[in-house]
This record gives sequence, structure tokens and C-alpha cells, in this order.
Amino acid sequence: MSGASAEKKRGFIGRVFAVRGMAQVITVTIGLILIFIVFSMLSDNFTSSRNLHNLLRQAAPILIIGIAQSYVLITGNIDLSIGSVVGMSCMISATLMTMGVNPWIAVVITMACCLIVGLLNGWLVAKCALPPFIATLGTMTIARGIAQIVNNNRNTDSIGAGAKFFRDFFYYGEFVGLYSTVWIAVALWVVFNFILSRTKTGRHIYAVGSNIDAARMSGVNVTSTVTKAYLVSAFCSCIVGFIACATGGVGTMDAGNMYELYAVAASVIGGVSTLGGQGLLLGTVIGASIWSVLQNGLILAGAPVAIRNIAVGIIVVISVLLDIIVRKGRWAKKH
Amino acid sequence: MGEYIIECEHIDKSFSGVRVLKDVSFNLRAGEVLALLGENGAGKSTLMKILSGVYTRDGGSVAVFGSRFGDLTPKEAQELGIAIIHQELNLCSHLSVAENIFLGREIIKNGMLAKSEMNKQAAEILGRLHIDMAPDAIVADLSVSKQQLVEIAKALSTNARILIMDEPTSALTAKEIDDLFGIIRKLRDEDNCGIVYISHRLDELASIANRVTVMRDGSAIKSAPFAELSMSDIISLMIGREIKEKFPRVERARGKKIFEVKNLSSGAMVKDVSFELYEGELVGIAGLMGAGRTELTRAIFGIDQKDSGQILLNGAEVHISRPIDAIEAGIVLAPEDRKKDGLCTRLSVRENVALPNLRTLCEKLGIVNRRKENDMVDKSVKNLSIKLSTPEINAGSLSGGNQQKVVVAKWLAQDSKVVIFDEPTRGIDVASKVEIYSLMNELKMNGIGVLFVSSEMPEVMGIADRIIVMCDGRVTGEFLSADATQSKILEKATQFEAKRNTERRDAA
Repeated sequence: MSGASAEKKRGFIGRVFAVRGMAQVITVTIGLILIFIVFSMLSDNFTSSRNLHNLLRQAAPILIIGIAQSYVLITGNIDLSIGSVVGMSCMISATLMTMGVNPWIAVVITMACCLIVGLLNGWLVAKCALPPFIATLGTMTIARGIAQIVNNNRNTDSIGAGAKFFRDFFYYGEFVGLYSTVWIAVALWVVFNFILSRTKTGRHIYAVGSNIDAARMSGVNVTSTVTKAYLVSAFCSCIVGFIACATGGVGTMDAGNMYELYAVAASVIGGVSTLGGQGLLLGTVIGASIWSVLQNGLILAGAPVAIRNIAVGIIVVISVLLDIIVRKGRWAKKH
Repeated sequence: MGEYIIECEHIDKSFSGVRVLKDVSFNLRAGEVLALLGENGAGKSTLMKILSGVYTRDGGSVAVFGSRFGDLTPKEAQELGIAIIHQELNLCSHLSVAENIFLGREIIKNGMLAKSEMNKQAAEILGRLHIDMAPDAIVADLSVSKQQLVEIAKALSTNARILIMDEPTSALTAKEIDDLFGIIRKLRDEDNCGIVYISHRLDELASIANRVTVMRDGSAIKSAPFAELSMSDIISLMIGREIKEKFPRVERARGKKIFEVKNLSSGAMVKDVSFELYEGELVGIAGLMGAGRTELTRAIFGIDQKDSGQILLNGAEVHISRPIDAIEAGIVLAPEDRKKDGLCTRLSVRENVALPNLRTLCEKLGIVNRRKENDMVDKSVKNLSIKLSTPEINAGSLSGGNQQKVVVAKWLAQDSKVVIFDEPTRGIDVASKVEIYSLMNELKMNGIGVLFVSSEMPEVMGIADRIIVMCDGRVTGEFLSADATQSKILEKATQFEAKRNTERRDAA
């Protein structure tokens, strides 16, 4: 009883801070605000309404693949096939549409193909006990090969006028002042954040990542839990493939190249642990935002690609290092 | 018999306030095999770890080869010629026998590993010990008993003069035991080594032991030539630990039979085990380390595979191949190793307690009802008087006793018929122990069948209604607690299959 009344007394702010991992999300949010202020001083265009709109639209796919990778990372695994599934989704949907298939039927077929890759990942990692790095390295290469083979090793032609609604839905459309891509990311985040924080499946995902033996001994079906995480990952990657296809109006074979690693970056900057069992999707939002603000801001500030890469790499390493130092400090105090 | 090569006097050692060694004096001569005996927790391993530099002592003096030493490090102990062979294997299984023997002391020629030289020297060491093994064999390909011999060869390759062996024969076959004893006698008689030999297999001692030191409750209580003591003398010296804690026993008439294990075998550690459990009965499983008790609980709960046998609940057979099958049938297990099997240490107490109960806490679509969850967790925390500021803190940040209560709390919100505890009080303070006992009594009063594994004999005798004794994977005895005495239990707990004699007869 005393616990319940203490809960009430603490109020809203107190409860937010009590959520495990929230402290780190707040730290990186402060980092995001600082970076934002720096870029708005460096370039007048940065805070223009037009640029902020674009910035949000650029951040959206990074957030979606971030959600994908976060799910898998929290189970204590990794998904290297994300970028290739994006490419596969982009090429399969575009090829079907250039063949005159109704865009929505193309979407359904493509989604089915991508989910098979997710299922395969889950089966290899959870059932066959392959190291996730190796298993998804394999499916990464296979999926990229499929992206190349569907249109005979060529990018596709334009997906045509019949696909205008498809292109608007995934990229060009606007709704209540925001691009549709942003709305898709928001919708996916709301759904997957709810699943992760409020459902049994979400709880099992954390438990498996935290201690697989204890989870199994508590009656958690480890195989199905890990497979579900890989399916979420494939689903999200497939959506990003549609966005890539809608953006250019053509299928490109190297769409999503390196996205699996961008997704790791967005996740770990936001506090998701690569060791599993730890992380919030709210952190992934901040991680994806930091990533996108850096890219966008450095372009506006006139930095060449090389400088952008170096800056982003440094940020990834520093954010994880800071987390380890903070944790070690606490650890040392306790012992 | 030679001069003293180890002389320890007045050794004291405490772990978090608990005195595990009390004023222990201990010595070893060159050219003798000293059998160090005692129950689980008597302090044998702690004393040996102090000698080999793993632990540092709180008080007392240690002299090796006549010169006194302060705190030894493992490396200094090794340089002094003290080698210890642990019960668990510490080998790199992907490397070869020779590479393991020379691990950390590789022979280098011209900046490169002198592989053939190391193989040659390893072959010499193996040959000297009459161990038939290729030095370039990969350790993972060897049987466990051969691996144990590699461990011994590794220890001897450092030219050790003092050898400590902790249960070296537990994994060996009859012939290998004979070979090992041959090696031990050779080291004793020809090389004038001093050997400390720790074993629960009292029948083996006659073949090698010159002298016996018995420890009990952290004190060395007797040291005498082996020939002057009979087996029953040794057993009565080992037991007789005073029962310090109060055991809250409650009486209840037992109900009908609810649970039965028939001829269960699983791996090498559970052999043809059968027993029964009644409603409202508290049954303790006693035995020494490595008797197969934990393995038995794991097999029942569906973590380890069952090779044969049946499990019956209320007279009907239940098929358990995964833990979830057991949980759904109403059989739950609070495991021994909290950190490994019991808790997700990086998740909150709330999430840990809720984990096995999510089925009952979820609404449609698997959405967790947070109010039900918080109520359940608050109730458990209160019932078990788990001390914490909020259930949101990480389970790993609690003290051992409170962690153990969380492990127990996970399973008490269920409607279980059989609750199994594996070493529920290991490593926790006395107050928490009493709380755990009261909890087991409460389950018993509610008509649940309670089974618990414990290495603390007073504890088993103090609260169990019935005691099952295991040795070497088999059930070797069963007592009503009114009839049980420590010597009866210990006698059954050391009733090893006389594999040396029988197998020798088979061979003949």
C-alpha cells in the first residue's frame, strides 16, 4: 500500500524519471538541443520552415529503421539485413509497378517477400542458434542479391503515372502541415512503442535480451520472441523501401545501402544497449534526430561529405563512451 | 616422513561478516598425502584458496618451506611450487593439450612459438605420469576424464612441490582413478611432494591417505594418522554441527499424493530417480555437491532433456519438455543460481516479478494491465517483506537476500500445485533465511507440495517433513525427519557406487 501512495505522491515528472533508461534519453535530448542551437547559429537557412520540413522528412526513414534495429538489439541480437531489405523492397515494388501491377497489390506482395526474410532471420538465430551477426550477414547478402536479380541487374524505369497515389502516400503528400513520410514514421513509432512498453510481447523482448536463461525458466518462448523482433525489423525496413521507391519514382538496386549501420547508430545514440535488455524507443527518436540534424546541418554549413562522415562517426563513439563512463562511475560508487 | 612444508597457524577469514575460518591451524609434510575432509561449507575450499593465493586471510600466519609469507598472489604461490587442481575444469577447449599445459609460459625461440619443443616437453610430462595422450590432441575432443588428467599434468608441469587436489576423481573412470593414485603415490614417494587431497569419497582414502584432517564449521577439529581412525570415527567427526538457527517448523497432516517422479534419468547426473510428494508436505533433498540434485530439479522442470522416466501430477502423466509446460501444469522452480537463471538483473523488480505471470496480467491482445501488475507486485513485495524504495529499481541492485525473495516472489503469485526450491537460502543472511522458511511453511499449510534442495543439513533436518538423500545421481536414502540423524544422512550421502571394486571385478 505504501508503494502505491508513494507512486501518487511522486507525480508525473517523478514517474517519467522512474522509467528505466529515461535518464539517458534526457541526456541525449539535451545534446540534441545543443547541436540544434549550434547549427541555427552557423546557418540562417537551418531554422527556416522549409528546411525544418525537409529535415523531418529526412529523419523519418532513419527513425523507422532505428525502430527496426532497436527491437532486435533489445533482444540482444543484431540485424544486418535491414539495408538490403530496404533495397529488396524498393526493387520488387518498383519492378511490379513498371509491369503494370496495381501499386497496392505490389505493396502486399513486396511486404510478403520482406517478411520471409525476417522469418528466416528469426529461424536462423533463435531456432538454429547461429550467431546473429553471421546469420544476418548471410541474409543481408542474399537480400541484396534478390534486389539485383528482380530486374535483371538494372535499376527500373519510372514506376509511372498510375503510381501517383503511391508516391504521394509514401513521400510527396502533405497532411496537417507535415509530409506523409513523417506521419508514417509517427504512426509506426506509436504502434511499436505501445507494443514494446505495454504488451506481453514487449516485456518478453526485454526479458530475453536481459537474461535469456532466466526468461526461458520463467516460461518465455524465446524462439518466438526473437522471431517477432526480426519480423518487426523486416516490416519496418520494407516500409522504408517503399519510401525510397516513392521518392525517386524508380527502383534503385543500392537503395538502403548501409542503413543497417545507420540504424545501429540511431539506436545506440538514443541509449539502446547492444548487449540487449535495455533501451527505449523514445531514445531512438532522439538518436535518429541527432543523426539527421548533423547530416542536414553540416550540409547547410557547407561541410564536405568526408567531414560529415567523420563528425557522425565521432558522435556515435562519444555518445556510447559517455554512457559507459557514467555507468562505470555509478558502479564504482556502489562497490 | 619429511619436514613440514606448509605450516598455517590461527588462520581467520570472514566473508561479509560471516566467519568461515576460525583460528585454523593446518600443516602438511613433504612426502605425505593428507586427506582434508569435511561437509559442504566446512571451510576446506576457502582454506585451500588462501594457500593458493586466490583469497587473502584476515589473520594468522602462513609458512611455506619454513619461510613466512604475507598475502600470497596466485602467481607467487605458483612460483613457490604450490599447484591447485580445481574441481571444475579450467582449460581452453579449442587449444591442444601441449598448448594448455604451457599456457602463459609458452616457450619462445627466435620470437616464435617453439611448437615442436613444447610438444616434446609435454609428451615427456605425460609419459612420466603414464598418461596415454597425444600432446597435439585438441582438448575439446577428449573425454572429461582425460581433460581432468590434462589439468593434473598442467599443474605438475610447473614442478610443483605442493599439490592441492579438490575432488579430482569425480569425473574419472575406475582405471583412471587407479592410474591417478599411481601418480599420486609416485609423487609422494619418489618426488617427495606434499599432497592435499579433498574428496567426499571416503572409500578411496584407504588407497592413498597417510593422514586425515577434518574440518567442521570453519575449524580444523582433528588431525591424525589415517590408520588410527575408522570410517565411522571420521563421519562422526565431520558432523555434529550445532544447530544455531531456529527453524520454524509447523505441523500439518499430509494430504493425498499429488506428485510423483518415476525412474527419471537425465544425462550423467540423474540416474533412475523415483520419489513421491504429498499435499501439504515439505520434502528436503539432501546430498553433497555434485550429487545431481540441481540436475534433478532442472530435468523435472524441463530445462534439461529427460532420457527416460515419467512425471505424474494427481495420478496423470504430464509431459514436460520446456519450462512453460511445467508452469502450465502447476509445477514451478525457483532456481539455484539467481544471477544466471533466476533474475533479469537489468530489469526492474516489477518486471521480474511479473514475467512468469504475464498470462494472468494481460487483457485482450496481450496488453499488460498495469494496475493489476502494480497490485500484484505491491502485494508480493509486502508479503515477502522485500526491502526496496520502489519496485522500479533494477533487480540486480538488491542485496542477495532480497534478490532471492524476488526470485521466490515470481512464483508465488501463481496457482501452483508443486513448488520446487533449489538452495533457497544460499548466501543470504539469517533473517532472510527465516523468512524463506516461513514462506515454505505457508505454502505447505495451503496444501501445496513443496520440494527443496539444500546443502545445509541442519536446515533440511530443521524444516523438512521428509528427507530424500541423493548421491552420485541416485536416490540412496529416505527418512522421515523424526528418524533422521546427521550421521544417517551423511552415510547415505556418501554411498557411492563402489565403481572401482565392481568394475575391477567385471574386468577380471
